[in-house]
Amino acid sequence: MNYNALTRRYFEMPAAAGELSGADVSRGASGSVAAGTWVQFDLQAASTTLQAARFLAFGCPHTIAVAAWLTEQAPGRVLTPALPEGVQALSTRFEVPIPKLGRLLIVEDAWIAAATRALARVNALIKIAP
Amino acid sequence: MSAPVYLDHASTTPVDPRVAQRMAEVLSAESQFGNPSSSSHSFGDEAAALVESARKQVGVAVGCSADDVLWTSGATEANNLAIFGVAQYYRESRRHIVTARTEHKAVLDPCRELERRGWKVTYLVPDREGLLDPGQVADALQPDTVLVSVMHVNNEIGVVQNIPAIAAVCAQHGAWLHVDAAQSVGKCPVHFSSFGADLMSLSAHKVYGPKGVGALIVARRDVAEGRRSVQFTPLLFGGGQERNLRAGTVATHQVVGMGQAFELASTTSSIETARIAQLQQRLWRGLAAIGGVLRNGSAVHSVPHLLNASFEGVEGESLLAAIRPHLALSTGSACTSALGEPSYVLRALGRSERLSESSLRFGLGRSTTVADIEMAVAVLSREVSRLRKVAGT
Repeated sequence: MNYNALTRRYFEMPAAAGELSGADVSRGASGSVAAGTWVQFDLQAASTTLQAARFLAFGCPHTIAVAAWLTEQAPGRVLTPALPEGVQALSTRFEVPIPKLGRLLIVEDAWIAAATRALARVNALIKIAP
Repeated sequence: MSAPVYLDHASTTPVDPRVAQRMAEVLSAESQFGNPSSSSHSFGDEAAALVESARKQVGVAVGCSADDVLWTSGATEANNLAIFGVAQYYRESRRHIVTARTEHKAVLDPCRELERRGWKVTYLVPDREGLLDPGQVADALQPDTVLVSVMHVNNEIGVVQNIPAIAAVCAQHGAWLHVDAAQSVGKCPVHFSSFGADLMSLSAHKVYGPKGVGALIVARRDVAEGRRSVQFTPLLFGGGQERNLRAGTVATHQVVGMGQAFELASTTSSIETARIAQLQQRLWRGLAAIGGVLRNGSAVHSVPHLLNASFEGVEGESLLAAIRPHLALSTGSACTSALGEPSYVLRALGRSERLSESSLRFGLGRSTTVADIEMAVAVLSREVSRLRKVAGT
C-alpha cells in the first residue's frame, strides 16, 4: 500500500507517542488490539485549554499517523468534545482509503472519550471553585 | 538510499546470468527461431532439438524421464491441468478430491471451482507444525476419490511433506497423487520416480529461470509395475503439441531457459545448501533475541531457504510499511492492504488472526549474504521495538 508524505512522516516519527500522568490528565480509548485497531489519548487541560497530549496506537500506518498528528495539534486548542478536524477532512489530508475510514472513527471515539472526561473534570473544578 | 535487501526469493528469483545468456543466444540465433513443431524444415528441427534437450535437463534435475515432462506456462497452469484434467477425465466414476488447507491458491482455487461444479473436496488440516500425517490422507480417502493433491515444500513456511509415504497410501487405494513442487527444486532433493507420485508441477522462475514457463511431470507406468498411468483431459485445444495434452507453440527460448536453470539447480552444492542453512540459523537467532517472535512451521522438516515468523505486539500492515524502505520481503500472506486476509496457511496452523497478520516470510537465496541477514535483524529489531512503544505493548 502507498502512503502520502504526511502519513509517512507521522508514521515514521510520531513524536507525541506515549502517556501523560497527573491529576489534570484525562484518558480515553477505543477499539481493541484483538480487532486490529486500538487508540488511546491522554489530554492535559488547564481550564478549557489543552496544554499537552499524548497517544498510543496499535494499528495501520494511517491510524498511527492521524493519532500522532491530532496529538501534535492539541496544545493551545480550546477543549471541546470533538476532533480538532473532522474524520472526512482527516481522510482527505492523509489520503485514507475509503475501506479504512472505520479506523478513523476509532480514533475519533478515543479522542471524544478523552475530551469528554477532560471537560467533565474541568466543569467539576469550576463548580467547586468559590 | 540504497536498494532494499532482497529476501523474497520464495516469491521469485532473479534470472541467473548464465540462463539469460543462453536464452538470448536462442532468441538471437538466425537458425533457431523456427517453430519446434515444424518438422518439414531444418529451422523447425533445430528448435525442436533445443526443446528436447531442455526436456532432458529438467528430467535429469527432477529424476524422471524426459518423456514425462510436459511444458506449461508455469506451475499455476500445471496445477490447473493436473486437477481439472484428472477430475474431468474420471468424472463419470470418481468425483472426490483430497487436498490440504495449506496448499497454494493455484491448487485451492481449482478445487473450489470443482466444488462449485459438483465435485466433493476434503481439505486436510495439518498439525501445528504444518505437517500432514499420511494416516490423515488414508482416513480421508473414499471409494470415489480420484485425486490427492499435496505440495512438497510449502511456499509460506517451507515445511516439507513426506511425499513417498503419502504416495504409498494413494497407490494402495488407487487414487492419483499430484504434487506441487514449485518451491522444491534447488532447495531440497527432488526425485519424481522415488516420490511415487503420478503428477508433479514445476516452475522455472523460483529456480533462477524465466517467468512464464513451467512443467507438469506425468508418470508413465509400466504394466509390470501393476499400476496404470494417470489420464487427464487437456485444458487447451488447438494443436497437437505436447502429445495432444497441451496445445500451443512451445516457446523455445523459455524452455531452454528453464532447462538451463534446472541443470544449474541440480548441481547446487552441499556447501551452498549449508551456507543457506547457516544464514537461516543466524537470522532466527537474531529474530528470537528481539523477544515476542514466534517461528511458524516445523524447524526440522523444512527447507533452509524459508523462515516464517510472527511478531507479537505489532500490527501487520505497520510492520511491513516500517521495514519496506530497507527490506524486500512479504508477509506470510499477500496481506499488504487493509483489505487483505491474514495468511490462511498460518491460520490453519492455529495462529491467531493478529499473529497471522503480523508475520513475515524470509526467502533466502543465492545472493543472500551475512551482511543482508545482519541488516534484516537490525531493521526488525529497531522497527518492532518502535512500533511496540507506539502501541504501548
